[in-house]
Amino acid sequence: MPDHATPAEIFRPRPAAPPPPNTIGVAGWLRANLFSSIPNTLLTLVGAWILYVVVDAVLGWAVFNAVWDAPNRRACLDQVGRAGACWPGVIAWIPNLIYGLYPKDEVWRINLGAALLVLWAVPLWLPAVRSKVAIGLSLVLLFPFLASYLFLGGIKGPVWAALVALGLSGLLWTWLTVVTEWRTGLSFVALVARVLGGPEPDAPRARWVARLTWAALYATAFVLVWGWELRPVPTQVWGGLFLTLVISGIGITFSLPAGVLLALGRRSRMPLIRAFCVAFIELFRSVPLITILFMFNTMLPLFLPAGVEVDRLLRAIVAVCLFAAAYMAEVVRGGLQAIPKGQYEAAAAMGLGYWQSMTLVILPQALKIMIPTIVGNFIGLFKDTTLVSIIGLLDLLSMARAVGEDSTWLGLFIEPFFFITLIYFVFCFAMSQYSMNLERRLGAGQRR
Amino acid sequence: MSARNPAIELEGVNKWFGAFHALKDVTLSVAEGERVVVCGPSGSGKSTMIRCVNQLERHQAGEIRIHGRSYGRSAREDEAIRRDTGMVFQQFNLFPHMTVLENCTYALTWVKQLPEAEAKRIAMSHLERVRIPEQAPKYPLQLSGGQQQRVAIARALCMQPRIMLFDEPTSALDPEMIKEVLDVMVELAGSGMTMVVVTHEMGFARQVADRVVFMDQGEVVEQAPPREFFANPRFDRTRMFLSQIL
Repeated sequence: MPDHATPAEIFRPRPAAPPPPNTIGVAGWLRANLFSSIPNTLLTLVGAWILYVVVDAVLGWAVFNAVWDAPNRRACLDQVGRAGACWPGVIAWIPNLIYGLYPKDEVWRINLGAALLVLWAVPLWLPAVRSKVAIGLSLVLLFPFLASYLFLGGIKGPVWAALVALGLSGLLWTWLTVVTEWRTGLSFVALVARVLGGPEPDAPRARWVARLTWAALYATAFVLVWGWELRPVPTQVWGGLFLTLVISGIGITFSLPAGVLLALGRRSRMPLIRAFCVAFIELFRSVPLITILFMFNTMLPLFLPAGVEVDRLLRAIVAVCLFAAAYMAEVVRGGLQAIPKGQYEAAAAMGLGYWQSMTLVILPQALKIMIPTIVGNFIGLFKDTTLVSIIGLLDLLSMARAVGEDSTWLGLFIEPFFFITLIYFVFCFAMSQYSMNLERRLGAGQRR
Repeated sequence: MSARNPAIELEGVNKWFGAFHALKDVTLSVAEGERVVVCGPSGSGKSTMIRCVNQLERHQAGEIRIHGRSYGRSAREDEAIRRDTGMVFQQFNLFPHMTVLENCTYALTWVKQLPEAEAKRIAMSHLERVRIPEQAPKYPLQLSGGQQQRVAIARALCMQPRIMLFDEPTSALDPEMIKEVLDVMVELAGSGMTMVVVTHEMGFARQVADRVVFMDQGEVVEQAPPREFFANPRFDRTRMFLSQIL
């Protein structure tokens, strides 16, 4: 302790003062953002005028001058000419825009599929549900089996029936678990094991009960599926928004895990795996999606043995999946590279193996920082599916084009395109909003 | 001290980064319960040496034994040997997407497969030991640097290592926070833990070290008990180094 000649003065920090009044509130915001200088004010006024002109023109055409009721396009033109939209054509075609040429009396199957998807996904947002990871995985892995039979129908062999039953048992398990976890906090199988097998979850008796419960669940689903037969609907008549959602939905769910694996493979220390991943990624990224679609559509059958016919929709889906996976791989790799080396080292020093450190430490962080880009890719993929119209699939865009080729509505192109633009916008905007919401939620508490 | 078993033995350890010879025939032995401080100018190989001890860096020649078991037989055995050591880094390297508590429990639940409640109990006891149990539900980036480093120490202790390695634990901290971290380390030293500390905190070396090791250019230049090391270093290089940092 040094000796001081005089006793120390006491330092008291000043209290914080409020900001000047004209920098806060609505007036402060307007002043700072819209009218801060003369050029800025001019820009604000010009911008407001442009906005007014555009909105006025669009609303005038689409709403105020539009025809809502007419038997054909001729009647529309007689009423307002080209000054207003002719909506009756679009309205008459809405079922086709949504379901394509799917038989009218079978459309309930698509609706049921969509409802089951929602039903399966809802538990992921319920706070009382604890097995969210298992439910999410079952949704991604098992729902496709159930949905594909629902949409395709037809006679199913034992293998096909077994897979569909797997899908149904996944759905049954999900909702039984939702109910049991809400009431008791235990998943369905764990609850049965507890009740019939005693309180020790690892005791042999409880394990047997758990296994038997799984078997019983699956058997129930199998019996239900076995007695269930739907009229076959070939993929040639699938179309519209339904087809667009099928292709992009499968593409999106496949591309993320496949992209993660490819990205990890590209950074692997094993030369063979790395070489394969690099070759795959670079090949598919260097070729336009349209070319890949053509390749799969026209050239693949040449390589297959005679008599082997691969469904055209399936070919398109595979092409889209591989293409999307290659792009996603590079996005994920970007995220992996942004994680400091210290994180890998800390995980290794704590004794985590490769897969543990990747899944627990590295990927959660890498995927989080890449959310905007990943969702950007999803949105791009969703819109890219319009390209399948080129190989003759009747997606939303093709169906919109078909409206103007209908003899009743001949030449009606702008209105259906305007309508599907709105549909695309709603889906893409929802995805983008959800991603921003996700970013905010995941970022909460991790910012300084 | 010679009666105690060796915890860490390095024998003729060599390490190259490309053509750069980072460790030259390093031979060093640390007994159980011994506290060794390693110092030296930057680029002298002290971090590389400590990172070889838990195989974050692989050495290319020589032998490293931890409690008598050497690395390099099989990946599984290396992993088991590494679990004898806990590591504290200069940049903390906490996982920003997990809370403080999760940072401490995840390895217990995933590597040691302990039940959640047990992992939580162990983690809380170590967080209390580093005197920040109240920060358990927060995220690392909400804490000060000194608090983060104490969490990092607690996290390493959770795995119950017999050896703790510190790689410049206070170099990234503001002066006001260095002391709170050193206090925890002093307390740890008092409990009989084997410790190897790479640091420039000579006060810490004086207070708790059994031995100070001075490295330069990838070699161990000299090693001595702190009193002797500071009062009467043998080599001119050591004297020059000490004159610059003291």
